[in-house]
Amino acid sequence: MSAVSTAPDLGALEIPMDAWTQPFWDATAEKQLLLPRCSACSRFRWPPGPFCPHCQSQLTDWVQPGVARIYSFTIISDQRGHGADQPQQRVPALVEFPAADGIRILAAIVDAPLAEIRIGAELKLGWSQAVNAVVPVFSIPR
Amino acid sequence: MKKGTAIVGVGATPYYFRGKSAPQTLYELIGKAILAAVGDAGLKITDVDGLAFYASGFEPGLITEMLGISELNFASTVSAQGGGSAGVLDLAAMAIETGRAETVVCIGACQQSSRRYGLALANLVATPDGIWSRAAGLEGPGQALALIARRHMHVYGTRREAFAEVVMSSRLNASTRPGAIRRQPLTLDEYMATPMLADPLCRLDFCLETDGAVAFVVTSGERSRDLAQRPVYIAASAHCGSREWGRSFFWLNMPDAVFTSAGGELVARRLYAQAGIAPTDIDVALIYDHFSPLVILQLEDYGFCPRGEGGSFVESGAIRRTGSIPVNPHGGHLSEAYVIGMTHIREAVEQLRGQAVNQIAGAQFALVTGGPAPIPMSGAILRN
Repeated sequence: MSAVSTAPDLGALEIPMDAWTQPFWDATAEKQLLLPRCSACSRFRWPPGPFCPHCQSQLTDWVQPGVARIYSFTIISDQRGHGADQPQQRVPALVEFPAADGIRILAAIVDAPLAEIRIGAELKLGWSQAVNAVVPVFSIPR
Repeated sequence: MKKGTAIVGVGATPYYFRGKSAPQTLYELIGKAILAAVGDAGLKITDVDGLAFYASGFEPGLITEMLGISELNFASTVSAQGGGSAGVLDLAAMAIETGRAETVVCIGACQQSSRRYGLALANLVATPDGIWSRAAGLEGPGQALALIARRHMHVYGTRREAFAEVVMSSRLNASTRPGAIRRQPLTLDEYMATPMLADPLCRLDFCLETDGAVAFVVTSGERSRDLAQRPVYIAASAHCGSREWGRSFFWLNMPDAVFTSAGGELVARRLYAQAGIAPTDIDVALIYDHFSPLVILQLEDYGFCPRGEGGSFVESGAIRRTGSIPVNPHGGHLSEAYVIGMTHIREAVEQLRGQAVNQIAGAQFALVTGGPAPIPMSGAILRN
């Protein structure tokens, strides 16, 4: 059996928020992934911020982004080990949403056989608890 | 082509492995580099009337007090970190060309005992618009740039053998350079046996973590001809950036074609236009090498090979001292030392004075690049 990616330890991570990122975290608290889209020109943007870079409007809708795919990833061998026999391997990835103008967010790929983590692979959404927020993570669907 | 300003003095401390410069203080290292640079130029410290920084800069008041500089007519900082390294030359040139100052010292220094740049993403104060890096488990620029390296491999078929060649060439160059930290030549087998740190980057693809300070004295071309050293003219200098590159590895939402670049195309266009020359005119390239794949991507940005062909280009031997474009004959950040880009400017000056340890015969034009990082990015073309 091949190695499986582990989750980053988010137990101590405090997520800072502002008026423009708060709706993202309000949605994840309800286990929903919503991304910001300009109400005026309907273009997605990332990260959430006070202006649409395409038309400078401040009006924003929060929208389900559709399918998520791996755009790129790295594999980090965790030297700290958490007392495990085998080295722990974390996989931070850049996750692309082709139906949301191809915007990309950084997230961990968890519980996935390393051999199955490939650019273009379709992802399944999951969740991980930080101190004050729920963080989206992704896995490879079985 | 500009010939209005020139580098007339260079000074540097020895390079130390991270933390080994103690008990010298950071400002002591800076002071030693400045005094050495001023001495190299045949000037006095009281001739200095301008200071140019990048990477958040240093305290001008403290430096003038400490060294006995009498009066500053200019003190400014390029608003970038490693991306701004070559930009200090642009600042100095602007100050001198506009008559604001006559003798500007450019300074770069680091002492990583308290602050490790390699953990920049983890060390940064978490901000609402940057927290996703940490939530994904990214701790440093190398891990984030590994995402770009893997995408370049995926799109263009770039191989780890190309990353290895960048490191092996750098190590070979450092092997004859006194003061370089990693001087043992490296084989492909040894490279391939090295543990991965951020797959597809192994430990050897990451630059050194070192302490040191480097300073340059810049003055007008006219004045430079009466000083101690052969002038090295600033033929072109730029610090600029596009929205498409933006915050670089902190953003990672560049358009597809820009994602697999090193973000240097705009700087490259500005430099070649200003100098009135083409990539084929460059005799030696000092490429900011914080991570080996980014050397390959910059070779594409700066027009030494077509987009996507950087891997096979370096594998052909093109960046060796005998190749079509010798890269980092001093060993660069991968093998000599890391002082946030300053060691590359130093090597460019030594090459154009004809004093380099690994001299490229007849070098007339040297390219220096700042680090692929958040904008403004920077670069310079120097000539003798």
